[in-house]
Amino acid sequence: MTMNHNELLSALVDSELQGSELDQALQILAADELATAQFQRYQQTTDVLKGYGERGLSHNLASRISLALESEPVYSEQTTKHKAEVITLPTPFWKQMTGLAVAASLGALAVVGVMTQPQNDLLTNTPMAAIDAPAEMITVAQTGERWTVNEPEIENRLNSYLLDHNEQTGSSGVFSYARVVSYGAE
Amino acid sequence: MNVDLELVQRVQAGDKKAFDVLIMKYQQRIVHVITGFVHDPVEALDVAQEAFIKAYRALPNFRGDSAFYTWLYRIAINTAKNYLTARSRRPPASDVDAMDATNYYDAPELKEFETPETRMMSDDLEQGIHEAIQALPEDTATAIKLREFEGMSYEEIAEVMECPIGTVRSRIFRAREAIELQIKEIMGEGEQQ
Repeated sequence: MTMNHNELLSALVDSELQGSELDQALQILAADELATAQFQRYQQTTDVLKGYGERGLSHNLASRISLALESEPVYSEQTTKHKAEVITLPTPFWKQMTGLAVAASLGALAVVGVMTQPQNDLLTNTPMAAIDAPAEMITVAQTGERWTVNEPEIENRLNSYLLDHNEQTGSSGVFSYARVVSYGAE
Repeated sequence: MNVDLELVQRVQAGDKKAFDVLIMKYQQRIVHVITGFVHDPVEALDVAQEAFIKAYRALPNFRGDSAFYTWLYRIAINTAKNYLTARSRRPPASDVDAMDATNYYDAPELKEFETPETRMMSDDLEQGIHEAIQALPEDTATAIKLREFEGMSYEEIAEVMECPIGTVRSRIFRAREAIELQIKEIMGEGEQQ
């Protein structure tokens, strides 16, 4: 064990080693028990300076733990990699999957909604709305209680809007606002 | 890369010896933390050993989201609490916050468990270390003070002292060697070697 080795160990205590120097320090510690003892002394000096209890209390703890860990498995990159794959799937992938799942659910809901809507209503209600609604709306317009629309063009356009609205809401199951207007006007 | 994280990655990749370094780095601090819960020093060592074994077993799940020591600290606290619960002893109502884990040595709840003997020994050591530091050349003393008391990195010390990082490293090493000699005098040469 040289002075240079000890300097490396001192730097390791301060977590100031990287790359090949860290490799070297670990090799020294693995090969030389004196180096391990020296490293522990440096570490304990730091611990004492920082107030972490008296020196020597747990001096044998490291060897005790190392002994106890002998029966524990040695991890491999595969073990860790497998866990990493499970835990840290790329976020964009999940985002995409979530997006697709939401889109699929909405699509399925839309299809089910259309399928459960009585098809005849769509066909038969439209002409009925076309016949009924204008009559009501014309009444509203003519009475002038709500709208004072004297222009026939505008009146027709408003009625066509209401018809469209009625058709759309009728097919989607939403309560038609146009009918409320009609009832209120009468 | 952070040295602790690199050591963890080496363990995860099959280098079991790298875990020994982590044990040596943190054993004293972990024992100190556990002594705040488990007052008996022998029991505290057993609990510390259990905590390190638990940490080793959980290591494949460690992703480096927090500092290794903070993670280890939490394991140690939980192990100590479980130990007390298993023995029908009530764990302390409060403990040192994990975020303050690196500064917990000032926590009064830990200080109160010191025995007069350990306190005296610590005082002697502290005094001896301070005397050793006082006797160092100014540059060397400044480097070790900035490192140990201010917690500065080598890079920061180099900036403050306007010298290369390599110089800082050797100054700190020389300071440690001098302190080591002083401690040997205080403790006696026979000390666990």
